[in-house]
Amino acid sequence: MTEIIKSVVCPICGCLCDDLEVTVENNEIVKMKNGCAVCEAKMVHGYKSDERILEPHIRKNGKLVPVSMDEAIYKAAQILTDAKYPLLFGWTSSASETQHVGVELAEELGCALDNCCSVCHGPSVMAIQEIGIPTATLGQIRHRADLLVYWACDPWSAHPRHVERYTAFTDGRFEKSEFKEYVQKLKGKASKKKVEAAIRRTQVRYQPPPRPQTAIVEAPPPTLAKTGRKMIVFDVKKTMTAEVADYFVQVEPNSDYEIFGAMRCLVNDQEIDVDKVGGVPVEYLKEIVDAMVNADFGAIFFGLGLTQSVGRFRNIEIAIAMTRDLNRKTKFVISPMRGHFNVTGANTVFAWQTGYPFALDFSQGYPQYNPGEFTANDLLRRGDNDATLVISADPGAHFPKSSIQNMMKHPLITINPDWNAISRLGDVVFPAQWCGIEQAGTAYRMDSVAISLKKVVEAPKGVPSDEEIIKRILNKVRVIKAQKTRKDVTETKNVENKKI
Amino acid sequence: MITITPKRKFDVPIQAACINVDIFTGKTLEDIKKLAITEGKENLTLNDAFNITEDKTVETPNITLIGDFSKVKRIGQGMKTGEIIINGNAGMHTGEKLAGGKIVVNGNSDGWTGSEMKKGLIEIHGDAGDYTASPFRGTDTGGMKGGIIIVDGNVGSNVGCYLRGGTIKIKGSAGRFLGHHMSDGTIYIEKNCASRAGTFMTGGKIIINGTIELVMPTFTIDSIKPKVKVDATLNAPGPFYVFLGDIAEHGTGKIFALKTTNPALSTYEKYL
Repeated sequence: MTEIIKSVVCPICGCLCDDLEVTVENNEIVKMKNGCAVCEAKMVHGYKSDERILEPHIRKNGKLVPVSMDEAIYKAAQILTDAKYPLLFGWTSSASETQHVGVELAEELGCALDNCCSVCHGPSVMAIQEIGIPTATLGQIRHRADLLVYWACDPWSAHPRHVERYTAFTDGRFEKSEFKEYVQKLKGKASKKKVEAAIRRTQVRYQPPPRPQTAIVEAPPPTLAKTGRKMIVFDVKKTMTAEVADYFVQVEPNSDYEIFGAMRCLVNDQEIDVDKVGGVPVEYLKEIVDAMVNADFGAIFFGLGLTQSVGRFRNIEIAIAMTRDLNRKTKFVISPMRGHFNVTGANTVFAWQTGYPFALDFSQGYPQYNPGEFTANDLLRRGDNDATLVISADPGAHFPKSSIQNMMKHPLITINPDWNAISRLGDVVFPAQWCGIEQAGTAYRMDSVAISLKKVVEAPKGVPSDEEIIKRILNKVRVIKAQKTRKDVTETKNVENKKI
Repeated sequence: MITITPKRKFDVPIQAACINVDIFTGKTLEDIKKLAITEGKENLTLNDAFNITEDKTVETPNITLIGDFSKVKRIGQGMKTGEIIINGNAGMHTGEKLAGGKIVVNGNSDGWTGSEMKKGLIEIHGDAGDYTASPFRGTDTGGMKGGIIIVDGNVGSNVGCYLRGGTIKIKGSAGRFLGHHMSDGTIYIEKNCASRAGTFMTGGKIIINGTIELVMPTFTIDSIKPKVKVDATLNAPGPFYVFLGDIAEHGTGKIFALKTTNPALSTYEKYL
């Protein structure tokens, strides 16, 4: 039986493209339309891989043994209640409904709770708390923005449909697409190459021009002054997005902060005492700032190149400060390029539940917040926690060795759909449904717009959703805690009776 | 004097804001032993984790901590009077919101030491961590308002953020974002300072006796001064380059960088 499902939401990156057309045959996705390569890799091939976990496992004598769901739930609840200070980490590839139950579990356990944003865009959240954020939804940017700045991110590779759906290559109501110009540019480049090759063939000995040893920033092109859409890319290397852009500024690594500082001075019409900042001549920066000030509606998108390089949240703070300064002269917005499809949802759900977006601690009975103190990587590096639950994330592949070594000293519970690096290390391993493919739910796009994920196919038999697993663990934890208190009460009563 | 030593090695962090002279005064040894602390989520008494003895012949220091306290957080939080000596490393938030008295750490201290401090003295005879004398995330009013912090070793990054008064003296080197967003007060460093010092500052002064990695482009040179006053007891001999900033924030904060150790800054002299 073939069925075509329209308007399916893609559960991969923060773009949450909601225009996919999926063809389902015999409960299997066979074909899809409109998806990018990353989306197709997961939704057509990846979700039905051989590496799928189909039943719960418990480590016995060093080997993972399949067990019943009840046994695994009991074991997990036992580990979490016995531990003095567990850590619950992950959440960003789960639906918001699961995250909601997760906060309840963390409060019941009095433990640390963190999501993957502490190793991606957590610094952006911290900077927003320091200084605020002038931002807009992607729809606004699509229809109105005429200057697009991508800073330290590569959407062409990491968010493949971002440029096509929301920024330069889309036809907005007030701004036209740049795609035709881009094709022309490509054609021009190709013919230029042909001419060069022909010249080369006529010469007896061709000597290639010497390559510059250090990065040289080219002067801004005259197209920067044109009306219509323009795209500027700041990065440390020439990425795919930089190839597409009107102007690419290659900055020295870890010098974004200084460049933002200099640009802020220029936006505020102040002179600066140096000629070059972060490898970029100040006269070029002046032209870029001119283009920014002359834009009708500008948008800055920033990626992990800012949040995870030297300076971290201070980089974002100064980027937002520059946007604030630009807003005195024109309209400018700034937006983070969020990674996992529901990492914004994790921040949003944690914030409306507890008041804080990530790096939470419930050990005092009330939520405390302090990145650096309660973030997962810092806790693990110091060896502060004594049990870990990982859900819909893979720190095993992405965390530093020292953190994982400390994690492995204590029991580890994992809830993941497939056998990734962390599942293989787990002591209790749960299977889970693929959120957005086998499980419906809510996710938040990178501009904090809530979008409903669709269920496209049925999950394999016996594989529950992660929400159900967390709910069952929570109930079991409550039962064990009640038994413990009852035991304590009877023990104290017995002691008192003996005394009498 | 109350002496406290750990009973065992701690794995899980302990929150012990009750180790505080104000709370201990007027209590008997038995009462002190019953004070509540938490180890992870477990509620314990002070006696469960620490050995506590009392020596009535000695008055000051009021509390002596002996051993490794690097996992014990919030020692001397909000203290108003008295003296605490820690012979070993101290954990996070030591002397947070200090409103008087003195805390001496004969070892290293971790992050947020002396955060939101108002008065008093903290001496660290080792290294201090990141965010020393800096407020919590997102609080622009919670910076250190007064008092003195003296660090014998090096300090981490983001030290003295949102500083609104008081003095920080560092005998070693300092990390990035020193005195970020400060509006008043003094930071004095005897050795080197990493880049991005004084960003967003609107007042106060940072005095660097060693080399500064890079002066932010948002600072402009003002003059060369022969010496600078650190506090009532100390005058740093110069000459010093004086930078004004952060001009993007229309600030009038000053960075003093020693001329002899910073030959790279001589390019700024043409603007004088």
